[in-house]
Amino acid sequence: MPDLFNGKLVFTQIPQLLRYLPVTLELTVAAGVIGLLLGFVIALIRVKRTPVLYQISTVYISVLRGTPIIVQLYISYFGIPIFLKYLNYWNGTNWDINSVPPVLFAILALAFNQSAFMAEVIRAAITAVDPGQLEAARSLGMSASQVRRRVILPQAGVIALPGLMNSLIGLIKGTSLAFVCAVVDMTAAGQIMAGSSYRYFEMYCSLAIIYWVITLLLERVGAWLERRLSVPEQAPALRQVAQTEPEQAQPAQTAPARGSVRRLPALNTPGIATLAGTVAKEVVARD
Amino acid sequence: MISIRNISKSFNGHKVLDGVGIDIEDGEVVALIGPSGTGKSTFLRSINLLEHPDTGELEIDGKTYDLANASKDETLEIRRSTAMVFQQFNLLRNRTALQNVMEGLTVVKRLPKNQAQDRALRELRNVGLEAWADHYPQHLSGGQQQRVAIARALSMDPRLLLLDEPTSALDPERVNEVQRTIAEAAEAGNTMLLVSHEMGFVRSIASRVIFLEGGKIVEQGTPEEIFGNPHTDRLRDFLSSFERYGTNHPGADASRNASWRTQEALREEHEREDLALEAV
Repeated sequence: MPDLFNGKLVFTQIPQLLRYLPVTLELTVAAGVIGLLLGFVIALIRVKRTPVLYQISTVYISVLRGTPIIVQLYISYFGIPIFLKYLNYWNGTNWDINSVPPVLFAILALAFNQSAFMAEVIRAAITAVDPGQLEAARSLGMSASQVRRRVILPQAGVIALPGLMNSLIGLIKGTSLAFVCAVVDMTAAGQIMAGSSYRYFEMYCSLAIIYWVITLLLERVGAWLERRLSVPEQAPALRQVAQTEPEQAQPAQTAPARGSVRRLPALNTPGIATLAGTVAKEVVARD
Repeated sequence: MISIRNISKSFNGHKVLDGVGIDIEDGEVVALIGPSGTGKSTFLRSINLLEHPDTGELEIDGKTYDLANASKDETLEIRRSTAMVFQQFNLLRNRTALQNVMEGLTVVKRLPKNQAQDRALRELRNVGLEAWADHYPQHLSGGQQQRVAIARALSMDPRLLLLDEPTSALDPERVNEVQRTIAEAAEAGNTMLLVSHEMGFVRSIASRVIFLEGGKIVEQGTPEEIFGNPHTDRLRDFLSSFERYGTNHPGADASRNASWRTQEALREEHEREDLALEAV
């Protein structure tokens, strides 16, 4: 049988590829964090409809979501040096453009791209928080920042989580295009290795496995976070509570489950008696 | 004493409130009644500035606030001396019953956690839900959620408790437990301003009833005056729409006797039901 496909190689070369995993992770973490922060700011601008910034954000999101990431990487790689040269020219400075590490261009492009997607996820999540929750917090006398921190962020965070994870998974795979910025990430390293062995197919299989495993791990982390942050489905057990003291006999000691009228306590004050009577009558009328 | 003066509010040129004002004595329970869309809720929400009125003044213990031009600090001050119970309960859904009641104590009043917890548990005990302290709102019935909301409001020691149709969103069989909780809060001496469509409840709990229509106070008086002897046609028309509830029956004594009988009858019925259930 001809040696067309070396199945063993698919797995044996994985450790070599993993030596470049830190580059991929560095790109992912840096672009993810910057993208999240920037996306959050843009989302706030969109929720508050801040004049001028709102219009700018609309164009920003539209352009970044509407152009391929590889094109954005090229624009970053070629555009930022040109921009810096102009800055040198205008300010009379003499920065060394070549000393800028190429990984920075890749991180910036990926971060801007992420921020556009994340901004939309976060904006949708913030507007999905029930206004009644905010009113309740405000009516307690919480300041605007307390309401944001204690109510909006936690609730919007849970809503945004699946969308943000989705975006992050997209980002990890987006880093495989970083080679266009002269960054040797995992994919680029694989291509270089395959270039000398001509085992391209095996190499791409290995890469597919690595990316897929990373994504699997991320999915698990996401699911775990979602479980942690959301309200448990199961109601907890009731607390064991001491019987209430005599003066407090009037409050209902147990929540009447059904037909609550039957659990009216003994009535001895005329005021309460009238009330209970009226209430009881009302229940009758309703039935 | 709490004075609310001259609250006006327009939505898109439509005047919802037209210079409405009330004085509320300490410990008084004032009920606002009136047809839907007549500005009752807007009035309530203007007091704690969830709605921004076009004009209006609020005086609490000698301090006067201009509601139309309240600063941020004044807004917080007003909200801290009033508390609101909402039609839709509005418990924070990502917090347990206990955490919901503790929220204002720790975040706004800045009580240490253990003190806040003691206070919150006491409030929950008062509404009969201490055992439910660790339950999230989604695990509670509407009536239980509303009782937690009342506990949350009372935990803030408000000078004025605002209740915005507190039983309107409840299943009929849950209305009773919430009304009883509110009645107990009233007995305890809390000053309240209540918007409700439950005339029987208003009649039994309110010390004063205010009939609001078209953004103005049309008539006010004791429950006996309002329900027993309405002066204006508009109030009579309004009350007649509740006739089938039997709540504007003239003569308080007659209705009191009637309600006693009804309650006795109900008790017996339930005892029979219980026996039947046991037999099964």
